Amino acid sequence: MITVLKPGLLMTIQDKGRTGFRHLGVAQSGAIDSYAMTIANRLLDNDDNDAVIEITLGLAQLQFNCDTLIALIGTDMKAKLDDTPVYPGWTYTVKQGQTLTFAAARNGFRAYLAVKGGINCERVMNSRATDLTAGFGGTTGAALKENDTIPITPSSQNWPKLGALSPPKRRLIRIHPSIHTQLLGQSTLDDFCAKTWQVTPQSNRMGVRLQTSSNQLAHSHSLPSLAVIPGSIQLPPSGEPIVLLNDGQTTGGYPLLGGIISADLYHFAQLKPGDSINFSYVDLAAANAAQAKLDAHLQQLTIALRNKH
Amino acid sequence: MNSQATVSVVILSSNSVFLDATHLGEDSLTTQKKIWALVKQCKESNAFIDIVPAMNSLTVYLLNTEELSKWQTTLVSWWDEVDAQQHQGAHHKILTHYGGEYGPDLDFVADAHALSPKQVIELHSGAHYQVLFLGFQPGFVYLHGLTAQLHTPRRATPRTHVAKGSVAIGADQTGIYPADSPGGWHIIGHTDFTLFNCHANPPSVIQPGDTLQFVCLESAS
Repeated sequence: MITVLKPGLLMTIQDKGRTGFRHLGVAQSGAIDSYAMTIANRLLDNDDNDAVIEITLGLAQLQFNCDTLIALIGTDMKAKLDDTPVYPGWTYTVKQGQTLTFAAARNGFRAYLAVKGGINCERVMNSRATDLTAGFGGTTGAALKENDTIPITPSSQNWPKLGALSPPKRRLIRIHPSIHTQLLGQSTLDDFCAKTWQVTPQSNRMGVRLQTSSNQLAHSHSLPSLAVIPGSIQLPPSGEPIVLLNDGQTTGGYPLLGGIISADLYHFAQLKPGDSINFSYVDLAAANAAQAKLDAHLQQLTIALRNKH
Repeated sequence: MNSQATVSVVILSSNSVFLDATHLGEDSLTTQKKIWALVKQCKESNAFIDIVPAMNSLTVYLLNTEELSKWQTTLVSWWDEVDAQQHQGAHHKILTHYGGEYGPDLDFVADAHALSPKQVIELHSGAHYQVLFLGFQPGFVYLHGLTAQLHTPRRATPRTHVAKGSVAIGADQTGIYPADSPGGWHIIGHTDFTLFNCHANPPSVIQPGDTLQFVCLESAS
């Protein structure tokens, strides 16, 4: 068991999220950086979909009430296990009674903590992910609070010190073409790609809201509701785009500027208010090549780990 | 009439295909019936992670990304063959308490249309509604069939808290709040019908393509 001493800005239990229920209005939820989650789980020889703890910004503290093994991936929050520094990208053995403390993230926004065997909360609709909006999943259907307990299976086995590199951050996000080119006009889409966009403080797990100076994208179109997913880029009449993330709704009536390619979506986990990004349209071949590269990175990790566990 | 010529099916991403039937010139309910029939066919193929109907459109998310072009072509030909009447959904009776503490805005809606509260209840519960699709939040149903006599602009100021089970009218739509949430629709009644239970299978008993009616239990007004 783990006890939450301080949850920080937002701490939730996540796995890869829910699929197969979008026609009932159920969001995906799940780790925003499912790539980091996967690396953390593989370092511990867990299943890729084992539930982890998503830590936002830091300023958090967890106490372990049993022996376990952990892997921490994501942005550096100057974590310490009691007094020993814990670096992202590595595995650590944890003794009963030890406390893991996170300071504030400086260069990113989220970190992922995996424990050996994963977090044991009950599955809801085939997933342990916390759906903050609908109020189910995780241990309580809500963000973790002070004194909440998180069920894990104790593990006292010896474990080699293992590390994994995370891929570099991208500032140029690759996107699929808009299906509303005719409605919005090519110049709007060109403008969208020409501008550098800043992440606003109104961003959360539902979506990242963007703004820029001299924004010319305002419009008065509205559409019959259509399906949207994490990565869909909505353009509300204000002209300030919203990149939907994991807790985003299932349908919406705003025109779409396009959709983030699957290989680049995880970068949004580390964007914090004030960060800037650019967008560039790519074709399907480029999107698939980028995903293949990411898959290969994970495959290499698995091969490298095969003889170590 | 010329639906075959104008339905558009495009590749949306590496694993999704979007069928857009919003500009066919048919009435939207006829088009939506074809969408439901298409959903059924898609389900039977077991080729998809998610099959999401929305307003006169359908988005499918593929298990096998290598089949993108195949499904783009297949959806076009299925659309041409599908029969709008093929889909038969379930029918649900929503037992509803109208007015009073259950429906604090019933009188407002009545006044807005120069009707009596009783007439509003009769009009609202007298219709059969079609479940067009679900979205917004788990279990929220988009219904077709609210009589134009009851179309009412949304509240100027949304309520910060609307109780689960509230039956409400917003603009040309009527609906049921599946969970406590903020909301700007006029609350005319309340039902104990559970729209969404995350521990049930399926979690929502009402599915796209079903029909429903509101049954007046009593009027507290």
